[in-house]
Amino acid sequence: MRDCLARMEVAVSAPLTYAARLKEKTGRPVIGILPMHFPAELAHAAGAIPTLIQDDPEPITVGQSSVFNFYCGYNRSLTDQLLRGAFDGLDAILFGDHCVQLLGTADVIRAERPDLPILFNQLCTTLDAGWAARETRGTFSQLWQELEALTGQRITTEAARDSIRIYNHNRAQIRELYALRQAGAIALSARDMQTVVKSSMVMDKSEHIALMDGIFAGLPSGPAQGLPIYLSGHMCHAPKPAILDLIESCGAHVVGDDLFTGWRYIHADMDESADPVEAMTRWYLDKNRRVPCPTRATRGGDWETYLLERIESTRARGLIILMVKFCEPHMYFYPEIKDAFDARGVPHLLIETEHDDMPLEALKTRVETFVEVAGRKAALTTA
Amino acid sequence: MSPDTLTAQTRPIFGNGEKANKLAATKFGGKLVSEYWEGVFRAKEEGKTVVWYNGTYIPPFFHAHDLVWVHGEAWAAMLAARHREIGAQARGDARGYDRELCSYARTHIGQMLIEMDKLKSGTSDLDPDDPRIETMLKLPAPDMIVNAYPYCSSGQQWDDITYRMFGKKVPMFTIQIPLLWGGRPDAGYMQGEEWEQRSDYVAEQLMALTDFLAEHTGRPFDFDRLSDSMSYVKRAAELRLEAMDLCTATPSPASFFDWIVSIAPVNFLPGDQNLVTYFEGVKAEIETRIANGEGAVKDEKYRLFFDGMMNWNKVGWLADKFASVNACVVAGRYTHMSFWQEPQLIDLENPVRGMAQNYLICPNNHGAPIMIGEIEKLCDKFDIDGVVCHASRTCRGMTNSQFLIAGSAKKYGRQAMFFEGDVADESFYKDELLNVRLEAMIEAIDARKRAA
Ligand code: SF4
Ligand code: SF4
Repeated sequence: MRDCLARMEVAVSAPLTYAARLKEKTGRPVIGILPMHFPAELAHAAGAIPTLIQDDPEPITVGQSSVFNFYCGYNRSLTDQLLRGAFDGLDAILFGDHCVQLLGTADVIRAERPDLPILFNQLCTTLDAGWAARETRGTFSQLWQELEALTGQRITTEAARDSIRIYNHNRAQIRELYALRQAGAIALSARDMQTVVKSSMVMDKSEHIALMDGIFAGLPSGPAQGLPIYLSGHMCHAPKPAILDLIESCGAHVVGDDLFTGWRYIHADMDESADPVEAMTRWYLDKNRRVPCPTRATRGGDWETYLLERIESTRARGLIILMVKFCEPHMYFYPEIKDAFDARGVPHLLIETEHDDMPLEALKTRVETFVEVAGRKAALTTA
Repeated sequence: MSPDTLTAQTRPIFGNGEKANKLAATKFGGKLVSEYWEGVFRAKEEGKTVVWYNGTYIPPFFHAHDLVWVHGEAWAAMLAARHREIGAQARGDARGYDRELCSYARTHIGQMLIEMDKLKSGTSDLDPDDPRIETMLKLPAPDMIVNAYPYCSSGQQWDDITYRMFGKKVPMFTIQIPLLWGGRPDAGYMQGEEWEQRSDYVAEQLMALTDFLAEHTGRPFDFDRLSDSMSYVKRAAELRLEAMDLCTATPSPASFFDWIVSIAPVNFLPGDQNLVTYFEGVKAEIETRIANGEGAVKDEKYRLFFDGMMNWNKVGWLADKFASVNACVVAGRYTHMSFWQEPQLIDLENPVRGMAQNYLICPNNHGAPIMIGEIEKLCDKFDIDGVVCHASRTCRGMTNSQFLIAGSAKKYGRQAMFFEGDVADESFYKDELLNVRLEAMIEAIDARKRAA
């Protein structure tokens, strides 16, 4: 298992280098996908190498000339990577989000790399609007045609179905890992789980599927030690692994999450039997019913209600919210979560994360105190 | 006292002490705005249905349907302009809203929370003598919520919170006004396939809005009244643009700050004769000033363009600041590229599609190349020397692309500078920084003029 994780780790540590190597080997174009809602399946079906663009650990240097310091770390990192030339190997970018900060970054990319096609198709954000299905179908059909034009190849329905099947298979593998961890059957660290999900965002799907098989073949059995807790938040990019290590080093172990680089990314499949555009449309529009996202609007489901249910189903004893500094969608909804958790007496802790170095010692004290308080409360309720 | 007679003791720290020469005609707007809010505060007593909305200038739909409307941004801007925002923002902070969140939203949500507190306890935690109380406690609760926010995702999320705060019981309607990315080969300002598709899409949603309003009031929507209301709006918009065009004169007879205080009429006041009267007054005063050679700034030496959202608690302050260095801010993205800026698109027989198109071309709803192209056209037209970018801390809707805007200004031989502030949170405003950067920009413009 360690070997497989190590290979995933290599891809995760330099995703664009991994993509460049694959391109060299296969001659396939590399398409960068921006989070959080675009199906990479279509780019895969077009014969491209899809790679979900990640935050990278480099400090923001040259990027400061093109993005304000009051933008989220992900946007600042994207701009910095762009200006450092990290995106030079991309053949196109797929983009359809609505987060105002990402919209700004897309324009910076266009200005800096006018030769790089940005296939921008803004998705309908009101998922329960009367026209949402028609609009979403239109958006994905448009994208389908644009990808064909870009690659010069027809995307057949069969190819799209195949890609959906492969992606579904990979998602199901990772969900299986989640289920085993939640059941206490395996002791997998939060860092390792992040490596698994993050690598699935950037690696060749077939290779990742094979590595997942390898992981299942050598899983360490036995329950993890520590207080079970649930992680929530962190839109668009992965929290620093050091923060996950810190949380688990304070006597907690993660039993579930709704992080984007986590459950949110793999939680649902597309219908393999349906027309592919229809399958993608349903997959997209049902998102908030399954895992509510603060960047989409729906009258139904609440994020806080979902989280309370997940705390119960995973038997977590507390919630740690990882909030990206300057992430507006999350800032709007945090008070809703806080109030609901206070009302139900479920311990919760907010950690604001930054792209730049964070004072981990001070954070450690906060997490230790939280784990202690939540642990005491858990002992009282089970006593 | 004229600046020449200032002694060392009375000399201002910055500039020459001159004040902006504001248009007198805009006072009528102040009266209209006060009357409008009075009408809002009376709404419940008068048995009117109240709709809260955010985003673009959709009130003609509400006006035509005899509703009372509260524009969230206008409410927050009004509180900030009257220096009444602090209490509302503090209440938002207390619930956990981060101060990096859009301050319009924080002010509006904070006000809602104050209302809720009042409802729950029958009291307020403010001292009854606090002058803020009068303004803050009058906002009538919504019977409907409508969201129509171009470009900025924050606007949509803000209304989601409003909807939740009222227990998800108030009917809500969301209109999506998608970004005109302008990536297709035929894209251009108001042209191309994307433009046509998006115009149809928004128009369709506006038609659905009329159904929503009819459904929740039990009354059919009156399209004749919509046309009637729009006839005044259209005429007012034409007069506004004609008056703006007159500011190509040197010295400029009006400034960006006059246009800022003229936003309310075209943004959210009822479409009636008052709007037309207001802009006739503004235009007439501008014509008189041109005839007399009178400028909005004494001894105008520099002509500037303002990019970014307004700093609502600093309107007068900023107007005077620029005037005190003989700089006239002649035009701006917020004022000159928005608020019915293409009135010819409105067919009064059938106004909905033209309205949709005006909503689509709000200043930040274009991808940067087209938007910046339009900014450059304005800068050429008004003979602009420098571009001032207000980096409004919590409004990314307007700070996106500002580095590109500044870069473009420099490319075309103009100066560019940034200053820090915010739409409604005064604590982000940095006066010294503005002073230093403005002085540096003025020097650079001088140097350039000398060299030429
Ligand atoms: S949703 Fe949050 S993390 Fe994602 S780009 Fe927007 S601000 Fe950044
Ligand atoms: S961030 Fe700016 S554009 Fe967005 S909702 Fe707030 S004021 Fe409006």
